[in-house]
Amino acid sequence: MNRKKIYPFYLAAVPVFMFTLFFIIPSTIGYLYAFTNWSAARTTGLKFVGLENIISVIQNSKIPVAFANTLIYAGVKTVLVTVLGFVFAYILNRKIKTQTALRTIYFIPSIFSCLVVGLIFSAVFQTRHGTLNDILNFFGISSIQWLGERGTAIFAICTAEVWRNVGYAIIITLAGMQSVSSDYLEAAKLDGASEWQIFRHVTLPLIMPTVNVNILFSLIYGLKMFDLIYVMTGGGPGNATESFGTLMMNEMSAGRYAQSVAVNLVFTVILAIISFVYQKFSSKWETVA
Amino acid sequence: MTKRTKTVNRILEVFLWIISIFTIYPILMVIFTSFKGKAESSYMSISLPKEWHFENYMTVLQKDFLQSLSNSVMITAVSVLLIVSLAAFLSFIIVRRDTSGCRFIYKIMTLGIIAPFAAMPTIQLLQKLGIYGSRFGLCLVYSSLYMPFTTMMFTSFIKGIPKELDEAAVMDGAIGGRLFIKVILPLLKPVLATTGILSFMWVWNELQIPMYLLNSSSKWTLPLSVYNFYGQYSHSWNLVCADVVLVSLPVILVYIFAQKWVIEGMTAGAVKG
Repeated sequence: MNRKKIYPFYLAAVPVFMFTLFFIIPSTIGYLYAFTNWSAARTTGLKFVGLENIISVIQNSKIPVAFANTLIYAGVKTVLVTVLGFVFAYILNRKIKTQTALRTIYFIPSIFSCLVVGLIFSAVFQTRHGTLNDILNFFGISSIQWLGERGTAIFAICTAEVWRNVGYAIIITLAGMQSVSSDYLEAAKLDGASEWQIFRHVTLPLIMPTVNVNILFSLIYGLKMFDLIYVMTGGGPGNATESFGTLMMNEMSAGRYAQSVAVNLVFTVILAIISFVYQKFSSKWETVA
Repeated sequence: MTKRTKTVNRILEVFLWIISIFTIYPILMVIFTSFKGKAESSYMSISLPKEWHFENYMTVLQKDFLQSLSNSVMITAVSVLLIVSLAAFLSFIIVRRDTSGCRFIYKIMTLGIIAPFAAMPTIQLLQKLGIYGSRFGLCLVYSSLYMPFTTMMFTSFIKGIPKELDEAAVMDGAIGGRLFIKVILPLLKPVLATTGILSFMWVWNELQIPMYLLNSSSKWTLPLSVYNFYGQYSHSWNLVCADVVLVSLPVILVYIFAQKWVIEGMTAGAVKG
């Protein structure tokens, strides 16, 4: 019987329709609106203004800051989470007796919402009687306004994000390591390979696909970060800790709709480029490693 | 295992337990603070409360907590059902029908994982459809927003189901929907569980999208109400912490009773076998 008859398309019609209506159409319209003079004051009779919004958004000093911040958030998070995940997974994989209990504990932060994590770390980093400042005061160091300045605020946000995601990376890397057949490891041992050599030439290449997927998702979600920043600093002080996500929100609530969707357009292009480049590179690493 | 590796492992184990303090400390701090009085709660430390103020929880519960809880439960239940069932049908057709059109749809879907949420145009669209601000509109948006990732998980699972099973059922006259429900669906249990839990966590914890799409406080989800509560009572950390504990309780309970599924669900799709 014909494949098309056995698997009729109408079964997929509802999901395709929904995805088109609620995702593709709004996204496409949004990108088109980026070239008009759309604002809270002007929602009808829109005029085509060309690249005006995009240029104004780029020149408007907010974008470079948001761009740099977004890259810092995503980069710091991805590197730290991946490295720590690797180290902890490697240790746990050495047949540690309490492996299951440790795994359970390390994973707990991953189940909390960004909102909850943001609130917890607002408390940790608050200036008056915050956990960290209390510790500093104990050692005779005066309090720091953690969320009041760009550098320290970014540090605080990154800390919270890493805290939330390390457990997740540990579990994924550990699962990858456990799926490596012990036959390979034993064969390498019989050939007299050292522990480092086994790790470098047997385990690492075999878990690289897993690690790569993990890094890519970590990057994408890191670039899309919103909730945590919104809760901890709201993008402030000024625009100092703004990411693309919060910038879009703030432009929108200021009524500058066209600018908001222009930010979205710029952001989408950047995200697409980064994931494309990463996928190209990572597939090369997989064959080299 | 040699004696030396055993000692090394023991040391590493102790090290891991010491490091786990970083995970546990903030959580215990929130729990203890939620029982403290207002003045005591401004000191962010892990000390036990001098007096146990259980009434903090009563105060929080009276502040529209139950209303937001029922909103969250409803929105999450409907959204998860929609996300999982739509993705299951779609993936079945994409994988098995396998025409160029299907492959094109799949490509567009993968782009959907990357593209950020277009807030303003979505609001406008919902206004045109007359469902802006409603809980159901939010569910519909969720179902399409999370469709790409779940579809990816379903398709990779369905690809592993041997086609011979389909062929045998087709011989017996089962095609289309009947084939899916009789043959494929029973085999999808593991991936239904993982995607179900994954989308539960996403929808339950989401703050940004309901903030954009719900227009009145009577429809707010828990994270929204907690965020708003924090804005009003940012100087009463005891109440904020009680609220945080309450909003996290369902997720923690799910984690305790279905830990295996939660971990599998949240990490599935990332582990390439």
